[in-house]
Amino acid sequence: MNKLKSIFTYGILSIAAIVSLFPFAWMLISMTNKSSDISQGRLLPGSNLLENLRNLFESYNVGSALFNSFFIAIVATVLCLVVSSLAGYGFEIYRSKGKDIVFNILLLSMMIPFAALMVPLFRLFGDVSQVFPAFGIDTLYAVILPYVSTAFFIFFFRQNTKMFTKDLIEAGRIDGLSEIGIFFRIYMPSMKNTFAAAGIISFMNNWNNFLWPLVILQSPDVQTIPLLISNLGSGYSPDFGIIYTAIVIGTIPTALIFFFLQKYFVEGMTGSVKG
Amino acid sequence: MKKWKILFAAVLLTMVLSACSGGSADGASDDGGDPDAITAWAWDPLFNIAALELAEEQYVQEAGDFQLDIIDNAQKDIVQKLNTGLSSGTMNGMPNIVLIEDYRAQSFLQAYPDAFYDMSEHVNIDDFAEYKKAPTSFDGKQYGIPFDTGVTGLYLRTDYLEEAGYTPEDLTNITWDEYIEIGKDITEKTGKKMISLNPNDPDHLRHMIQTAGTWFTDEDGETVNMAGNEAVGEALRVFKTMLDEDIAHTNSDWSSRIAAFNSGDIVSVATGNWMTPSVKAEESQSGNWTVVPIPRLSVDGAVNASNVGGSSFYVLNIPGKEQAAEFLASTFGSDTALYQDLVTEIGAIGTYLPALEGEAFNQEDEFFAGQNINADFVKWMMEIPNVNYGMHTYASTDILIGELQNYRSGKALEEVLEDAQKQAEAQLN
Repeated sequence: MNKLKSIFTYGILSIAAIVSLFPFAWMLISMTNKSSDISQGRLLPGSNLLENLRNLFESYNVGSALFNSFFIAIVATVLCLVVSSLAGYGFEIYRSKGKDIVFNILLLSMMIPFAALMVPLFRLFGDVSQVFPAFGIDTLYAVILPYVSTAFFIFFFRQNTKMFTKDLIEAGRIDGLSEIGIFFRIYMPSMKNTFAAAGIISFMNNWNNFLWPLVILQSPDVQTIPLLISNLGSGYSPDFGIIYTAIVIGTIPTALIFFFLQKYFVEGMTGSVKG
Repeated sequence: MKKWKILFAAVLLTMVLSACSGGSADGASDDGGDPDAITAWAWDPLFNIAALELAEEQYVQEAGDFQLDIIDNAQKDIVQKLNTGLSSGTMNGMPNIVLIEDYRAQSFLQAYPDAFYDMSEHVNIDDFAEYKKAPTSFDGKQYGIPFDTGVTGLYLRTDYLEEAGYTPEDLTNITWDEYIEIGKDITEKTGKKMISLNPNDPDHLRHMIQTAGTWFTDEDGETVNMAGNEAVGEALRVFKTMLDEDIAHTNSDWSSRIAAFNSGDIVSVATGNWMTPSVKAEESQSGNWTVVPIPRLSVDGAVNASNVGGSSFYVLNIPGKEQAAEFLASTFGSDTALYQDLVTEIGAIGTYLPALEGEAFNQEDEFFAGQNINADFVKWMMEIPNVNYGMHTYASTDILIGELQNYRSGKALEEVLEDAQKQAEAQLN
C-alpha cells in the first residue's frame, strides 16, 4: 500500500516537473537550432549555436543592453532595500497616532495596476526632464526611481520585522547605539534572510520589467534586455534562433542569483530570524 | 554594518556622477531649436527600416547634411509608446517620424490631431493609390505619407495543383465558395491541406471583407456596421466552412503559420504581398509557386483584390518637423528612383503611382516559375476597394473572433452578427 502511494506521489511529481521544465529545456535546445527548424518544432539540439550567437552579437548591441539591465536592477535593488527596510522598520518599531491609517493608504496603492499609473508617471517625468534632464525621460534613472520605494516591499519588511526580537533594540540603546546605528548594526545583520528574499524579488522584478522601461526609454543605447528581446520579434520573418539565444542570455543572471541565494530566500519567505 | 553603508554610498555616488555626465548626451527632442538629428520609429529591420535607410542614403546625396536616427521597435511597442506619450500630453522623447499601420492610423489621428504635423503642402495624395487616402487623412488634412501596400494574392503550389489535375487558371478570379470546392478535391487527391488558418487571427476576415468594399464600421469610421452586414456574415461563413470542411490546417501563431507552407504541408497561402520573402525562404520549393488574385466573397460588387496590413509614415508636431517633412516629401513622396530600389533591394512595393512602372516591375522571378509577380501585384493594387478603416478595426475584429467560436459551436449566423454589433456598440461608443 505504501509503495503504491509513493509510486503515485512520484508519478504526479514527475509529471509536474516535466511540465515546468519542458519549456526551459526547449528554450535551451532552440538556442542551438536554425530558425526554420524551430518553427517546425524540432526537439533535438542542432549545431547552429555559434551562428546564432554571432548573428545576435553582430546585429544587436547586447553588451550595452546587458550593462543597462544590470545597472538598473542592481541600483534599484540596493536603493529599494535600504529605503523600504527603513520604512518597514519604522512602521513596526515606532509609535505614532496616524501610523495605521498611513499604512493602510500605502497598502491601497498596491491595488492600482501599473497601467493606470503609467500616463501620469510619464507626464511627471516629462516635467522632470525640463528641470533635470539627467533624471528625465530616456535615462536609466527614470526607470529606477519609481521602484525605489514600493508598497509591497514596505509591507514585506514590516511583516518580517514583527518577528524581530525587540529586546535587541533595548540592548542596543542601553549600550549607547544611536537609533540609526541600531538599524544598521543590529537589525540588518539579524534580518539577513529577509533582505536576501527581498533582494531576489526586487532584482528579478527590475530585471524583467518591461512596460515602464518600454515607454520611458527611447534611444537604443539605453535599451534593456527585455526591450531588446521584444525588438527581435519585430520583423515579418523573425529569426527565432536569435530570439531564443537572447532569451537564454536574459535568463541566466536571474537564474544564477536565485540559485546562489536560494537558501536565504526560502528562509526569508518562511520568516525565520537568526537572533 | 559598514559594508552596507559603503555600498549605499557607492550607489549614490555612481548615480550622481553618471547623471551629471549623461546630461548633455540627450537633447535630440528637447524643446527649442532644431535638433541635430531626426529620429524615426519603425519595425522590421529587413523591410521598413531597410527602406528608411535607403531613403536616407539617397536624400543625403541630394540634400547633403542630414542625419536620421532610426530606432527599431516592435509594432505593438510603438503603439504602446505613442499612446502613453501622446495621452500624457508631453511630447518629450517622441520621435520626429513614426510608422503606423493603416488599420490603426485613424485612432491616433482622431484622438490626437494636434500631435501630428499637417503634410498637405508637402505631398499630393492623388499621386498615391486611392485606397491609401482614407486611412492617412483626417478632417480634410493629409497627415500620412503612404508607404507600402498590403495588396493580397493567392500563393499556389503548382506541383500539388498538377497532381490533383488543376491549373492555376482554375483558381484565378474565383469566389471563396469555389475555392472551398476545389480545395476539398485537392485535399482528397493529394492529402495536403488547402490553407493554413489560425482561428484567432483576424487577417483573413479583414481581407475577405475588403473584397466587398465594406468594413466593420460605416464610412464615418465610427458607426458600427456588423448586424446585417452581408460581407461580414459571408466572411464568417467562409472562415467557418474552411475550418469545418477539413481543408484547413490550423496554426496557432506566426511561426507555425510560416512553417505550414515552408514545410510543404499546404497548397495555398492567401495573404499580403509582404509574405513573399517568407515564402521564398524555402529555396527547395523554387519554381513550384505562382500567385493569382485573391478569391472574392459571394457578394454583389465584390472584386478579386484586397489589402491586408500596409502602413504609412507620419510626422509629429515637434521641433524638427519641417526637416522631417522635407525628408519624407523628397523621398517617399516623390522619388521614383528610390521606389525602384525598394522593389529590387528589399522587395517592398510602394503605393506611389508614378513609380509603379520601370525596370523593377519587369523582372521575371525564377522562384515563381518566371512570373512577374511585382507587376501583377501592382495591377491588383489598382483594384483594391477603398474603405475607411476607422477608429476601431482591432477592437471590432477581436469581438468577431470571439463570436466566431460561438458560431462554430452552433449559434445562428444572424444572432452572431447581432451580438457582435451589440458588444461593439457597448464597448466602442
